[in-house]
Amino acid sequence: MPGPPIVFDGVWKKFRRGERHDSLRDLIPSYAKKLFSRPNEADLQESEFWALRDVSFSVDHGEALGVIGQNGSGKSTVLKLLTKILRPTLGESRVVGRVGALIEIAAGFHQDLTGRENVYLQGAIMGMRRSEIQRHFDAIVDFSGLEPFIDTPVKRYSSGMNARLGFSIAAHLDPTVLLIDEVLAVGDVNFQQKCYERLREFRKSGAAIAFVSHNMQAVANLCDKAILLRPGEAPVSGPISDVLARYFRAFSLSNPHVQVLSASLVDDSGLPLERPVKPDTILTLRGSLLCTTAFSNFGLSLRVVRADGLVMFNGVSTSDQAAAHDIEAGETLEFAIRFRASLLRGTYRVDVSLFDATAHRRWQEIVIDGIGTFAVDETNRVAGCVELAPTFDVTTGAAVAR
Amino acid sequence: MRASLRSDLKEMLAEQFDYRELLYQMTLRDLLLRYKQTVMGFGWAIFMPLVNTAVFSVIFTRVAPLPTPVPYPLFAFCGLWAWNFFASTLRFSVSSLTSNTNLVAKVYFPREIFPFSAVLVGVVDFVVSATVLVAMMVWYGIVPGISILWLPVVIAVHIAFTAGVALIVSMANLFYRDVKYLFEVAITVWMFATSVVYPMDRIDGRLGAVLALNPMTPIIDAYRNVLLLGEAPTPAFAAAALLSVVVLTVGWLVFHRAEFSFAENV
Repeated sequence: MPGPPIVFDGVWKKFRRGERHDSLRDLIPSYAKKLFSRPNEADLQESEFWALRDVSFSVDHGEALGVIGQNGSGKSTVLKLLTKILRPTLGESRVVGRVGALIEIAAGFHQDLTGRENVYLQGAIMGMRRSEIQRHFDAIVDFSGLEPFIDTPVKRYSSGMNARLGFSIAAHLDPTVLLIDEVLAVGDVNFQQKCYERLREFRKSGAAIAFVSHNMQAVANLCDKAILLRPGEAPVSGPISDVLARYFRAFSLSNPHVQVLSASLVDDSGLPLERPVKPDTILTLRGSLLCTTAFSNFGLSLRVVRADGLVMFNGVSTSDQAAAHDIEAGETLEFAIRFRASLLRGTYRVDVSLFDATAHRRWQEIVIDGIGTFAVDETNRVAGCVELAPTFDVTTGAAVAR
Repeated sequence: MRASLRSDLKEMLAEQFDYRELLYQMTLRDLLLRYKQTVMGFGWAIFMPLVNTAVFSVIFTRVAPLPTPVPYPLFAFCGLWAWNFFASTLRFSVSSLTSNTNLVAKVYFPREIFPFSAVLVGVVDFVVSATVLVAMMVWYGIVPGISILWLPVVIAVHIAFTAGVALIVSMANLFYRDVKYLFEVAITVWMFATSVVYPMDRIDGRLGAVLALNPMTPIIDAYRNVLLLGEAPTPAFAAAALLSVVVLTVGWLVFHRAEFSFAENV
């Protein structure tokens, strides 16, 4: 069938709040109630709520969609609808092709069985044939790095080993559609690296990917578009950098003490950033705040945070010999902070805060998270966070007497 | 309506075929687990009907002697052997969905796999404990006649009825956990309402008429007829066979149409 392999078309999903009657005692009154009213699918009963309202997206071959949002915004529900575990209340969720679901990759493991037995069981749960598992068995074990423990019962495994074995099985599926739910949070850095590489390979070979994660750096690395789910509001979707910017903004632009009148991040041309910048670009954050409380002897601080939460920089104006200021309630505050973005590829959030310069008392700090965002585009470096701009000075040819 | 019924039936069978590997692996899992977790392993399949046979043999040969067409221990073991497949499969099925919450809530595959693998595990036990029946037949010098050719039919009906009931009870217990407790009572009453350890044909009157509705009696009698007595199954068995097909078809259809809501209710 032509068309994108993943289609989510105007999907609404409602859930019950609290416990459903689980025993016969509650059954009879509930049936009596049902007898007298015929509920409409689209109407909410009391104790019901919409987990998803009118969510639409599609993912084509070789595309990766990041599904992001706060806890409880419905990310996992989206994946459960895609895997057919749940059915939409309204709308249509359609997935065509061979589906590999990396959700609860160790869900089928039985604690009393050995790693080897679980590979066959979990493989079958993921839809692999025995011959296929047999063919890939050595590769699976090799990928997981668990060869010495493969005949040990899984109950003796650590949670990291569980996840490694689970992912290794999934990594040897041959899916056309890949659904991933925050499964890579476990395992050490090396193994995670291996997993992401594998995911990128899947994508290159034409798989359509839907990826749910709280790790924005991971989303930014793997996906080219994203959908931001917001409880009670319409979702935002679009290119990854736009959606990530919205995600960070959603945090806290409203604050009981200050109100952000305007804020923009510009490069030297003075125009707001529209696309990712190169490393070492000089950026200026201009902003205008309205203070609703008086504040005396305050300084400003700048914090730059990578999408996965790594703080790249946090510094205060007074350490750079800037003067402290006073402000009355109802007055406005204008500022411009210039900095060099000596950073490697990634998506970054800029936070600004007002702090008490007399005592450096942090509890008096007013933080405005996500006042700006920017992305750095760079493919020169193998890995890393910061552009160190090294120069390599190497000489060869001098003989050494032994 | 008709077209959707046909497409449902087609989908049900196609799904089972697609996931046959998983059915095999789940059955293997449950067998392996029992083998690993218990010292006696498959011995339990033989032990339970043997102990029951011993107990009932004492009751019905010493305490209250009962005339039976074949020696009583053989009569009782044959009944308990067949009944045990039915009862233990159902006992296992009742909680098969609720004890696999993790899989039901998080991974997609046809949920019929759970009760069906319970049935397959039961079949393995059934075959294992059949060795005892064969040994007893040799001991008592009973040679089955040509009527043994009916055996595959009897087994097929027995399995179909068991699978149908297994689908229903596993689903019912997912929605209402009371079912598990109700089941324990019901299966005990049911056993004594079936010709497991005594023949039913001498109960008449109103009670007899009610008991005649129990499809398990003709099924268990059919085992004795074809294996021990050298007779063909009774006409009542034909009715039980028809009922089994109906129970399996309806149970499976209802299960299939409800399974999309399992993840939300488990």
